[in-house]
Amino acid sequence: MKRFILFSALCLAACTGEAPTPADPAAEKGRPLVIASNYPLYFFASELSGGTADLRLPDIEGDPALWVPDGEQVAELQAADRILLNGAGYESWLDFVTVPEDRLLDTTANLGERLLAQEETTVHRHGPEGEHSHAGTAFTTWLDPELAAEQARVIAGALSALQPQRVSDIAARLAELEARLAQLDRELRQAFDGLQGAPVIFSHPVYQYLQRRYGINGRSLHWEPDEVPGVQAWLDFQNMLRGHPARLLIWEGEPAAETTGKLREAGVESLVFEPAANRPEQGDYFDVMASNLAALRQSAPD
Amino acid sequence: MRGALKLGWRYLAYHRFKTAVLVAAVTLMIFLPAATRLLVTDSAAALTARAAATPLLVGARGSELELVLNALYFHAERPPEIPHAVFEAVRGSGLAEAIPLYTRFQSRGSPIVGTSLDYFTFRGLELAEGRLMGLLGECVIGAGVARRHGVGAGGSLVSSPETVFDLAGVYPLKMKVTGVLEPAGTPDDEAVFVDLRTAWVIHGLGHGHQDLEQAGARGAVLSRSEESITANASLVQYNEITPDNVREFHFHGDTSGFPLSAVIAVPQDEKSGTLLRGRYRDEGVQEQLVVPYAVLGDLLETVFTVQNYVVLGLVMLSLATIAVITLVFLLSQQLRRGEFFTLRRMGASRGFIALLVASEITFVFAGSLLLAAVMTWVVRAYATKFLLELVTF
Amino acid sequence: MAGVRISGLHFRYPGARGFGMRIDALEVPAGECVAIVGPSGSGKTTLLSLVAGILLPDPGEVRIGDQAISRLSDSDRRRFRIDRIGQVFQAFELLNYLTVAENVLLPRLIDPAAGPLTEARQRAAELLADVGLTAKADERPDRLSHGERQRVAVCRAMLNRPGLILADEPTGNLDQVNKQTVVDLLIRQAQTHGSTLLMVTHDRSLLAAFGRVIDFSELARTEGFAPEAGS
Repeated sequence: MKRFILFSALCLAACTGEAPTPADPAAEKGRPLVIASNYPLYFFASELSGGTADLRLPDIEGDPALWVPDGEQVAELQAADRILLNGAGYESWLDFVTVPEDRLLDTTANLGERLLAQEETTVHRHGPEGEHSHAGTAFTTWLDPELAAEQARVIAGALSALQPQRVSDIAARLAELEARLAQLDRELRQAFDGLQGAPVIFSHPVYQYLQRRYGINGRSLHWEPDEVPGVQAWLDFQNMLRGHPARLLIWEGEPAAETTGKLREAGVESLVFEPAANRPEQGDYFDVMASNLAALRQSAPD
Repeated sequence: MRGALKLGWRYLAYHRFKTAVLVAAVTLMIFLPAATRLLVTDSAAALTARAAATPLLVGARGSELELVLNALYFHAERPPEIPHAVFEAVRGSGLAEAIPLYTRFQSRGSPIVGTSLDYFTFRGLELAEGRLMGLLGECVIGAGVARRHGVGAGGSLVSSPETVFDLAGVYPLKMKVTGVLEPAGTPDDEAVFVDLRTAWVIHGLGHGHQDLEQAGARGAVLSRSEESITANASLVQYNEITPDNVREFHFHGDTSGFPLSAVIAVPQDEKSGTLLRGRYRDEGVQEQLVVPYAVLGDLLETVFTVQNYVVLGLVMLSLATIAVITLVFLLSQQLRRGEFFTLRRMGASRGFIALLVASEITFVFAGSLLLAAVMTWVVRAYATKFLLELVTF
Repeated sequence: MAGVRISGLHFRYPGARGFGMRIDALEVPAGECVAIVGPSGSGKTTLLSLVAGILLPDPGEVRIGDQAISRLSDSDRRRFRIDRIGQVFQAFELLNYLTVAENVLLPRLIDPAAGPLTEARQRAAELLADVGLTAKADERPDRLSHGERQRVAVCRAMLNRPGLILADEPTGNLDQVNKQTVVDLLIRQAQTHGSTLLMVTHDRSLLAAFGRVIDFSELARTEGFAPEAGS
């Protein structure tokens, strides 16, 4: 009899159950997890957070524009409290990566018409849908210190929302960062003024915002620094020189010696101005810009 | 007392067939009405729990019940579709969190649910293994799907074509399984979850093909000009999305017009919910906003009414069964008069005889009660699953 | 040991007009083996029921040993039958849903005051061994021959070492060999335990073993009983 009662009681107890409570990732962690999609954003965020946030920059091999996150990186993105986006079409991976949309922060969303269109798109057509293109927006906004400051302000707002107890500290750090960007702006203007409006050529169309900010008379090629241009490329280059007699070619990376030699023969000097999209091997964003400034000053016409 | 119990037990054990028939009859008498009631009550509770957990649902005008069944239980009967712009409108209203659903397709009998990551948080779904879908073409499967198809994280599933003859329409997409969910005891166990855009790829609204600007695609180029490239029919379209070709996938057209089955709206608060509902009361609005709990409530009211009649019938049957069982017992006692007389002659009291008979009755009813309890427990364990499988995909 | 004494007994079945019995006196000393012979249907079973206290005389007295059983309460009479009277019936009256050994234990099973059955089981085993049925202890009665069943019934009657054994046509369903076997068994058990044996029978071939034979027609005057012709 006792066994029967116990068994029946167990049966009834087993019939009840409780629904699982969903986990709250933010509550479990001490520091908010913030992921930046490029190095400049990562740098700005780290300056503003002062190490109080868990900041991460995905380890991207090769061209960031071609980045496809692996499983671990995707999981990290999905776990982030905030994902700092450059916007302006930089994060093409958003087209095929699933992330929580409410955690995304587009740092250039408010720039509106101040964003520049990407030049040179290709239209293709197949199937019944007709023509369509993959045109976009120029995304190297951080090369314009004024726009970079706007992005920093957006990041500061996000960090303040995540860490309300640090609002005043973040504000102070933002002021400091804005001051440094303003100083950089003055120095870049001074250095580019040294060009005195002379035409320049860029190795790739990634300097649009620099061009606009400092009134640089520039046109762009599609040359890789580590590749020696072929015959057709040289011909196109010479054609360009006829209409745009530049004496300076600005590269985003150290060009091949053969290329610089040939350019010198053509009367064109080379200068490396790193776009600072990726984490530098040494130093930080301002160090890279300082190095760019030094190269600019060195190459200024006498 | 022990002697009477022993005699009663031995009598029943000796007449196994008669005892089994009696136990079976009494068991059914207890079990049927109890199980009917439990089946309906528990299943209704599960159905309404899911509906209650879904505050508002936006879908095309038409059958409210079909909309709710499809969105909550991924029912095969599909209501008309709504454009993605509806989801954007709900999200943009600031009144509610919006979760898109596109449930048109299926994979080997399991519904494919195109949605966002918010769905998993909303339904409290946890991962048993792996991770949530991250890239286009990846999927996360419910525990039931994993068990039924013998597939886990790292495996793959292929979407089923809607019709064999429409080769240019919905075509099979091989999806990589990145994770398996913990059993939830809901229709989510039987679903394959993908990013909404993956569902659109299955639809054929997006696709991936060779890069027409690459040398390898020359054979697929019909014509080329400075601004445009036209491809021919030999262009290779991918039916599996991999990290190597994911960048080749793209959508044609404005995604605002792309289809959805429904939008789950989770209002910020009651006032927001009321404001949102007000927006869809206008006759001119193409979509309808329903409260799933209310829609199911109407349906369940009918079910409960039917249940009551069924239980009433079963109770009457039970009364008849009791009458028959009583007759069997009385006849049995008649046949055993000689045995009882001998026991009396030997010195057994009337009380002993009564206890002997009572013990037999008690053993039969106790055994039946135990058996009915076990059967009812089994029904209860599977009732929800059973009814949900009836209602769902 | 318990002798039987009946005096001035008159019995009539309630509501049954014409069915009655009168016994002026019967005295059976303790330890005596007595056969009461008479035709079937003459009232011998009624006599045993009166002796066992199942039926009560009105008026009259039935004494067993020093106990006037006819004056006891119903529960006391039942107690008396369990403790001090062993009964053997013509149709064996074994329960087929119990084993042979459990049938022997039946007087203890129906006894509300019975304690642990250990001693009783031991006693049952000894009784079955005594009648050569140890090997059949776990069998059901319906697997035994009639003779074996009646031997089991005798063991059951002897479980509580009764002072009085009442045997009602115990050989009625047996063949000639088993009849004698059972009668001899009854007498042996009675003599071994010092019990008084009262056996009613219509079979005169069995009377030689008894020390005393009473003709029922001389013992009792009956009304309404219809003895079977030729029995």
